[in-house]
Amino acid sequence: METRMTMWDSFSKRGLSRRTFLKTCTALTAMMGLPLTDRKKVVEAATKQPLPVVVWLHGHECTGCDEAFIRSQSPLASDLVLNMISLEYSDTLAAAAGEPFEKHLETVIKKYDGKFILAVEGGVPLADQGISCMVGGKPFVDVLKEVAKHAAAIIEYGSCAAWGGVQAAKPNPTGSVSVSKVISGKPIIKVPGCPPIPEVMTGVVMHLALFGQIPPLDAQGRPKQFYGNRIHDTCYRRSFFDAGMFAERFDDAGSKAGWCLYKLGCRGPEAYNACGNLRWWNGLSYPIQSGSPCFACGSDGFWDNGPFHERLPNVVLPNTLTNADKIGAGLTVAAMAGVTVHAVISSVQKARHAKNESEHDEE
Amino acid sequence: MKNKRVDGIYIFSPFLRLFHWIMAAAVLMLFLTGRYIANPFFHGSIGVDPTISVGNLMSMETIRFWHFFWAYVLVASFILRIYGWVMYKGDRLLPKFWTKLYWTGLSEVLQHYLFLKSDHQPYLRNSLARTTYLIWYIVTFVLMATGFAMYGMINPASWTAKFFSPVISLLGNEYNVHVVHNYAAWFFPLFLTFHTYFAYRSDMMHGDGEISSIFSGIKYLPGKPADAEDLK
Amino acid sequence: MKRVVVDPVTRIEGHLRVEVTVDEATGKVQDALSSGTAWRGIEIILKDRDPRDAWAFTQRFCGVCTTTHALASVRTVEDALGIEIPKNANYIRNQMASSLAVQDHLIHFYHLHALDWVSPVEALKADPGATASLQNAILAKYDLGLSGPFDFNTDAYPKEFPRATPAYFKAIQAKVKALVESGQLGIFAAHWWDHPDYSLLPPEVHLMAVTHYLTMLDRQRELVTGHVVYGGKNPHPQYIVGGMPCAISMNDMNAPINTARLGVVDVAVNLGISAVNYFYLPDLLAIGDIYVTKHKMVDGGGLAGKCVLGYGDYPEDSYTGIANGDFHKRLLLRCQGVVENFAAGVMAAKFTNLEGKDYVDPEIITENIEHSWYSYPQAGKALHPLAGVTAPNYTGPKEGTKTNWKYLDEKGKYSWIKTPMWRGKMAEVGPLARYIVTYVKVKQGLMQPTWAEKMIVDQIDGVSKVLGAPAHVWMCSTVGRTACRGLEAQVMAYINKYFFDKMIKNIRNGDTATANMSKFEPASWPKEAKGVGLHEAPRGALGHWIQIKNGLTANYQAVVPSTWNACPRDSKAGSGAYESSMIETKIKVADKPLEVLRVIHSFDPCIACATH
Ligand code: HEM
Ligand code: HEM
Ligand code: NFV
Ligand code: SF4
Ligand code: SF4
Ligand code: F3S
Ligand SMILES: [Mg+2]
Repeated sequence: METRMTMWDSFSKRGLSRRTFLKTCTALTAMMGLPLTDRKKVVEAATKQPLPVVVWLHGHECTGCDEAFIRSQSPLASDLVLNMISLEYSDTLAAAAGEPFEKHLETVIKKYDGKFILAVEGGVPLADQGISCMVGGKPFVDVLKEVAKHAAAIIEYGSCAAWGGVQAAKPNPTGSVSVSKVISGKPIIKVPGCPPIPEVMTGVVMHLALFGQIPPLDAQGRPKQFYGNRIHDTCYRRSFFDAGMFAERFDDAGSKAGWCLYKLGCRGPEAYNACGNLRWWNGLSYPIQSGSPCFACGSDGFWDNGPFHERLPNVVLPNTLTNADKIGAGLTVAAMAGVTVHAVISSVQKARHAKNESEHDEE
Repeated sequence: MKNKRVDGIYIFSPFLRLFHWIMAAAVLMLFLTGRYIANPFFHGSIGVDPTISVGNLMSMETIRFWHFFWAYVLVASFILRIYGWVMYKGDRLLPKFWTKLYWTGLSEVLQHYLFLKSDHQPYLRNSLARTTYLIWYIVTFVLMATGFAMYGMINPASWTAKFFSPVISLLGNEYNVHVVHNYAAWFFPLFLTFHTYFAYRSDMMHGDGEISSIFSGIKYLPGKPADAEDLK
Repeated sequence: MKRVVVDPVTRIEGHLRVEVTVDEATGKVQDALSSGTAWRGIEIILKDRDPRDAWAFTQRFCGVCTTTHALASVRTVEDALGIEIPKNANYIRNQMASSLAVQDHLIHFYHLHALDWVSPVEALKADPGATASLQNAILAKYDLGLSGPFDFNTDAYPKEFPRATPAYFKAIQAKVKALVESGQLGIFAAHWWDHPDYSLLPPEVHLMAVTHYLTMLDRQRELVTGHVVYGGKNPHPQYIVGGMPCAISMNDMNAPINTARLGVVDVAVNLGISAVNYFYLPDLLAIGDIYVTKHKMVDGGGLAGKCVLGYGDYPEDSYTGIANGDFHKRLLLRCQGVVENFAAGVMAAKFTNLEGKDYVDPEIITENIEHSWYSYPQAGKALHPLAGVTAPNYTGPKEGTKTNWKYLDEKGKYSWIKTPMWRGKMAEVGPLARYIVTYVKVKQGLMQPTWAEKMIVDQIDGVSKVLGAPAHVWMCSTVGRTACRGLEAQVMAYINKYFFDKMIKNIRNGDTATANMSKFEPASWPKEAKGVGLHEAPRGALGHWIQIKNGLTANYQAVVPSTWNACPRDSKAGSGAYESSMIETKIKVADKPLEVLRVIHSFDPCIACATH
């Protein structure tokens, strides 16, 4: 009989002490945004649950999400793929290729039928039967549907999988959509971001592995622990926003002083992501901290909200670019001019009227 | 032609009049604070010390506070305005698209405003005005819905956030909510321009006590209004 | 004769399929076909958007060579609008590009390529003690003794140094054993581990390489720490047209860049140098040495000896434009140009320059679609990227159905990759191409080398000595292509340091500017403008071309390194780099074409890049 190792098993097999194991659990507890008092639960979970099998599929993507995944520091990428999950199919990391690799996928989805986690990176093109993304000679959408049928849960990794991504920006030449547009009847966790913060993805996988259940999700299907707040509401530059201290242009005094980037089009007020609190490289930075406005890379449809350094999107009129503010102000001025002219004509008309009437009276 | 004056007609209930002015104040404040939120111009573009906005109570925090304060006022008065609408006939002068009078009246008033017709019959409230007010109420509703949808998400676990979340889903994402809110806000100066002008013009041209009506509730029309039925 | 299909090709970026026709008796490949099987249409999406946002879209061509397309894109728009970026912005961009090159090359070697050479199964046979001694021997033997310039040496001692104790290798071996025995092989599952080539290297080399595979899996992230400091994240750091968003100030703790932040970058710069000098290069040279000197395996050269191309990169300082020729005046790596016939030897090779207005000449660089799933307004007429068209036209396979392929149609269209050409010829691009062009230019006396170019020449001569073979013999092969990438990682690690130091000196002189905003607003732009942006990306010469009309992108075309290398054939120009190098590779076991994987991997394929 085949048994799958628990995380504790694999730690002890590696000759790592119980102390190291507990320390890892503490780190994981903190990382998953749980209070430290929950460490007991984490330890319990890690001692009992078997290692989860993960199958990772690629659709219309750029592999930036994979790259983010292997940048994870806590847990480390190596610990994760060797000891905490069993990554049975990943065309980025797997040694095998071609036919034996595809056969292996068939075996895995049957062997772990209803038990494995399916991570999908990339959007799903549907135009022309999905021929703009072919894998092993078949449309990706067909492969996805087949594998998803056998999965226990699905992670939409990155904004491509979660919302359709960059290829779904207008005019969406390949008809790309999110995974949840083609798969139903399975628990789906959205982990958007372009790419997401490494530890967000590994945190979600760990949650599944340790607790054996889906992390609490928000209305859009994203784990609340990571997507529960706007960046704006967690941003360290928020005090500058509140005080009204803004960078007006890139590289001006405000930019140098690290003031709020709102006037450079920061989408932090509309972006739900862990950048404000978790940040990249375990707290090192995030776009705003490096002086760049956020463009809400984890939000649905953010690609069509350009230009990214302006508060409002462009409205393209023949030969001119404009936006809501310019249109509004323009119409207001036009309206005022209009009523002024109207008033003048009206008073002339009234005067003429009055004259006519007085002439009538004299008769 | 002699001015045939009829006796003053009492149209607007105190509810309408009171909330007209409260709403007018709220919307004005919302527009001004909203514009500042959209473009906090106070320091950079005019090159003064950034802290001036703090010292002069123009910080984003303060301005946003007032925006939200007036937002609550607007919503509260909106609700009470609805109470008036239910209680008093004169407060219900919205367009009746299904009547012939609405369409003939619309055409007549339009012609008058385009100087094609020197006068129009008296109305309690003409079709064009009725239509404008309806649009205005719809826009106000959009502003309130989008406004509270954004406001609620300060705490995504809150009741407000849950209640207004369909607004965000409807518009795709929260950024679009800001954009729609912004467009809708620009309707206000347009409305105000036409609204005050035509109220003033009506007084000027017809001397019908248009402006005073929103204080006293009474209009003096040169004859029996075509839509007098609406008060019965 | 057997037609073998490998789909998906794994340990690459993107969706690649290859089909080879092999003579089973001799192992000779008769024909080979390379097909990019996914296309996202980003060139179409870029139209009618703000050109200042283009970098963000093009950066998503690829998350492996993240930043390269952002860089090419901002350069393109700046070229079109005549924007000269501040010195610091140039230094920062160069640091980001070179550190990416170090990291991308290193990940490629250990995580995408190593398993073509070494096997965890073989590693089990190794003696941990012997592995430890081997490690020390390799560190001594394969030190080329080269270094780049240092203005400020902040690295007190090599902190990142391979562990060479028997206990360490034993522990790793035990882990691998547990994994193999568990039956849950994870990423090592289902591979051709029984292929004879895995026994070419001694078991100790396998164990050492597998160990470093793990070490580097955990360390690679730190090599691009600079991206997170300067651009806020990685993959996909933030850029702006006109410079960099990361303002510099030594007066503010809140400044994106101040001394504390530079300290963080400094550590990463030093780590890059150590990782290459003590891990990557010695491991690579040890494997390469055995393959070339012991087993005489120098196949897979393909186009390398016939035609290679580079654009040049790493501007020493700001420049006023690319198409106007200024960019090429002050480059640290002047590998711009084409070398034909390198196979005949360095002095017999023919060099042709490629500079300035050549990039906007409609005849010099073109793309055709004879065998690609696109249509052009005028069939058969190749287009210059400024006039480029991206219009999909999928025609299905030769055998099988539209949605279930058996074999692709080598006579018709068979790939989402276009076919780029230089003066109507096929060319290979990449580290190997850059090395050949630089080597030829220096050896033929066509230029006085910069420190970096001198280092390249010294590396090539050094390796030729180690391998006992002249440059044109070992370089034009699978091993040579892989080796040049590793050598380049070393140069890139020092380039990173070089521009870091230059930036420090510049800041010390009081210049903290990072962005030139004078032409940021569309109101200041001409009604129409066009530009080209060049970059030597990890996988080779990268070009973006833009046409701007009324403040919006009217046309955007990218010709990407992997487009050059992975392209389908052309009836006049012949086969591309992947195809011709597969044709030049011998296959021992027809249905386990490990050699095909290896030669394809030697290009470090990136198909999302290639098709975009
Ligand atoms: C923020 C500014 C204002 C808003 C939003 C506003 C809105 C409205 C609305 C919605 C009505 C229709 C009554 C109802 O059905 O509730 C109305 C009526 C009226 N308003 Fe205003 N108003 C504003 C300012 C003013 C000002 C400044 C004046 C005076 C010049 C004015 C004069 C009137 C008059 C005379 C009426 C009665 C018109 C009629 O129906 O015959 N309003 N206003
Ligand atoms: C006539 C009514 C209103 C007008 C004219 C108005 C106007 C504006 C404008 C111009 C903005 C800036 C838009 C942007 O760029 O984000 C704004 C923002 C906002 N408004 Fe309103 N608004 C109105 C009503 C409301 C209401 C009823 C609420 C409900 C709470 C509200 C809540 C907000 C919020 C939350 C913001 C965004 C503030 C921020 O993100 O800092 N508004 N408003
Ligand atoms: N080919 C390619 Fe890239 C690189 N290096 C792009 O410019 O990999 Ni994704
Ligand atoms: S979400 Fe972004 S980083 Fe991830 S695959 Fe898509 S484009 Fe790449
Ligand atoms: S920088 Fe962006 S997210 Fe941060 S406070 Fe300013 S607007 Fe909000
Ligand atoms: S752009 Fe993306 S990485 Fe974070 S700060 Fe904004 S969500
Ligand atoms: Mg292209």
